[in-house]
Amino acid sequence: MLPPKEETTAMKFGIFFELSVPRPWTRDSERIVYENALEQAALADEVGFDYAWAVEHHFLEEYSHCSAPELFLTAIAMKTKRIRVGHGIVVCVPEYTHPIKVAERTAVLDILSRGRLEVGTGRSATWCELGGFRANPDETKKTWDEYVHCLPDMWTKERYSYQGRVWSMPERAILPKPYQKPHPPMWVAVTSPGTEIDAADRGMGALGISYDPLPVQEKKLQEYRRHIKNCEPVGQVINNNCAALTFLFCNEDDKFAIKQGTGMFMQFGLLANQIVMCREAYPTKAYASAGLLPAVRSQAQGPSDNAGVPEGVAIGDPERIVKTLKKWESAGFDSINFLTQAVEMIPQEQVLNSLRLFGKHVIPHFKREQSAAQGAAREDVAAAGGR
Amino acid sequence: MRFGTLDINEIAAAAPEIDGYGTEPLSLKNAQVLNVTSEVSAAGSDALLPPAMNPSIPPYVECTVMVFPDSPWGPFTTGELRLVGRAGFRPRARTFKTYVDNPKAAAELARRWGFPAVPGKAMLHPRHERIVVEINDERGRRVLDAEMMDREPISGSEIQYIASMHLARNRADGKLVLVQVDPEYVFTKVDRGFSHFIYIDQEAWGTKGLLSLTNPIISTWAQCEVILPKVRYVCDPNRNALESTVKVG
Repeated sequence: MLPPKEETTAMKFGIFFELSVPRPWTRDSERIVYENALEQAALADEVGFDYAWAVEHHFLEEYSHCSAPELFLTAIAMKTKRIRVGHGIVVCVPEYTHPIKVAERTAVLDILSRGRLEVGTGRSATWCELGGFRANPDETKKTWDEYVHCLPDMWTKERYSYQGRVWSMPERAILPKPYQKPHPPMWVAVTSPGTEIDAADRGMGALGISYDPLPVQEKKLQEYRRHIKNCEPVGQVINNNCAALTFLFCNEDDKFAIKQGTGMFMQFGLLANQIVMCREAYPTKAYASAGLLPAVRSQAQGPSDNAGVPEGVAIGDPERIVKTLKKWESAGFDSINFLTQAVEMIPQEQVLNSLRLFGKHVIPHFKREQSAAQGAAREDVAAAGGR
Repeated sequence: MRFGTLDINEIAAAAPEIDGYGTEPLSLKNAQVLNVTSEVSAAGSDALLPPAMNPSIPPYVECTVMVFPDSPWGPFTTGELRLVGRAGFRPRARTFKTYVDNPKAAAELARRWGFPAVPGKAMLHPRHERIVVEINDERGRRVLDAEMMDREPISGSEIQYIASMHLARNRADGKLVLVQVDPEYVFTKVDRGFSHFIYIDQEAWGTKGLLSLTNPIISTWAQCEVILPKVRYVCDPNRNALESTVKVG
């Protein structure tokens, strides 16, 4: 078992793509959104962001038109040199994608990106998607667990066979193999309460994808750190990183940034709330949370600073954003991923300017300053080496 | 974003008159609530929602039958068909009609909460493998048949009922409003099962043939206390609920 990789910087930053496409739709609407996103990813690579994540969503009109993230991430990888590309997430439900295909296509992306792939895993939270694929919501936690236990062996064993509950295969060589050895880092999307513990118990990174306020995410982080010390890793390397998700809009003019950024935040929340989440339509204990919805609502209505920026949201001039992100850092998060656009309501040049400012004036405040909390947490797990 | 395209004038005449927004909550104990849901085609459903509301993705309908063995007006049953959408950030359903088999109850539901109450009768026929739902109009003509099949117990905490939006005319100023009614439920027993819609008389429900059922979702049955609440919010049916919602209680 390999211990977690040594980190050289404290807080890392990622850009998180939902690829929302507002109506009215024209022939060019989606092309423009995709091309803008690629331009943003290329700039993020240049200015020092560490990750570019892409969701996998299906049927979510306007909210997300990112149904083939492996292709989009490949395009990012081809346009960038350094930034890591991440599935945020691959849906581990057989009606969506067979596990063999997940192993194969992630390996290809890892090769094409020269070992820059992060594999986030999850199970989908909307009735719109689960119902669309005729997947059984009661089953998704189980299928996800089976997938994540299989993937490392599918990536690393020369030949692989499997007889499981959800799927099986006779012995075959699953090809190609990932470029990273032993395999790419694995993550779990954390939305429902308790999923952070699932992540920790399996030695996987906790990829926050709900827009919870800082105190809520901090509590999840503490649970994660507590559990991962005794993990039984599914993979051959422990990923003990915790990432949070929030919004970013940076501008020299603080007031303008707040106006634009909170507008984006509210618009995104409004769009997210049009989607029928699993819990709304299909009562099941497998989906204890309503997904993004309550988080977006509570953050929209919850505590904010004097300027009206919801707590923990990276909106403002660089100085305000540094202060905000220091709170996340102090809480012990390893990385923060940002939504930088929603329904194209912010002009592309402003998004690019926001990324440039962030790279120039914010990121330098977080390099080579490994926080005590992060350092201590990593050392504990490294010493344990999992269980 | 899509918005409802219903011409409110088409249904304004049938809107009940609500007697202000000062009603007190009403607890109805030992109720049974059966809810049968199905997705519907987006093409028709947009035209059934008022411009204040947004269609959900995907849109779906709920048939809800409630049996109240005891109330200030005596026992009564209600049978509703509702189209779920959104009012701003929140899931809300437009109620097409509420068939009620007790005239006093019907009058009070309309006067206090704006229910689009009409005479009729809703029935639940529990069997071991299914619960059959029937809703009839006042002439005994069937307007909806549905079933919940293969029931199994679940926890009440797993259920999320959607609040209703009732088009009503406020007696004080004569204005048409959408009245939000979000009852509380205290569950003692809950089952879920498969949904099966057998028959909907679209003419009777006023849905103009626009409801096209596409994909059954699920059914739930609950034994519970239903608390009809104070009226807290209303909005202008013709304006985005996000901008026109007013707190009234």
